[in-house]
Amino acid sequence: MQERQFTIAELSRYNGKSGAPALIAYHGLVYDVSASFLWQNGSHWVLHGAGADLTDELVDAPHSAELLKRFPVVGILHHADV
Amino acid sequence: MAKVAREMVEKTGIDVDQLVALLVKNASAELTTFYYYTILRVNLIGLEGEGLKEIAETARIEDRNHFEALTPRIYELGGKLPGDMKVFHDISACPPASLPADPTDIRAMLNVLVEAERCAVRGYTYLCNLTAGKDHRTYDLCLAILNEEIEHEAWFSEFLGEGPSGHFLRRGDTSPWVGKFLR
Repeated sequence: MQERQFTIAELSRYNGKSGAPALIAYHGLVYDVSASFLWQNGSHWVLHGAGADLTDELVDAPHSAELLKRFPVVGILHHADV
Repeated sequence: MAKVAREMVEKTGIDVDQLVALLVKNASAELTTFYYYTILRVNLIGLEGEGLKEIAETARIEDRNHFEALTPRIYELGGKLPGDMKVFHDISACPPASLPADPTDIRAMLNVLVEAERCAVRGYTYLCNLTAGKDHRTYDLCLAILNEEIEHEAWFSEFLGEGPSGHFLRRGDTSPWVGKFLR
């Protein structure tokens, strides 16, 4: 199966608001965190928003990227439009 | 609100509204955990369950204490708790520590308990990092809570066989660190 590719602009539409799925990117992979209690309305801890590449933000988070393994990977992020 | 106390925190560059929002979310996590742990505790029965009951009860009471200790700081900084309990529940900094489908599965119970404590440890570590050297009172409070949450995690982790911590059951009063904020 071909992996879905997201541009930054496409990813931004999946911000978890108004019924949209909550997707986040980390090191090129796009994860669906919609089912997480901690990502309700696309907001995580009032600090982070869905629909974005959070690779840099995760550096300061009090958890490792290991937690992302709990969520399905739904595609890959390509930065051609960055 | 404690006007100058808030002003002093603002002058450090901390986004006080954001800090208050985080404190409210963690206060919610404490009170909802107190509630969910009540259900877990009453279901900790039988040969395996009874052995966990005492530490689950201590963690339950200390989490309620954390809620009590956080609340004045939220109001000092100009914040408030939501008027709607349902809203308060849903903004919790940690997921509900719900009773497992099979409450006789003690390992599943332990996983719920340890995950709740780990969420708390992460949260208060973040809050300590955010306020260290800036908002001394919130830092002191969050550090006190963090000390107790780390012990809770270790208690449950040891039952899961993840290795020793050197801790023992709480002796004497609950909340040896947070107690100073409750007197």
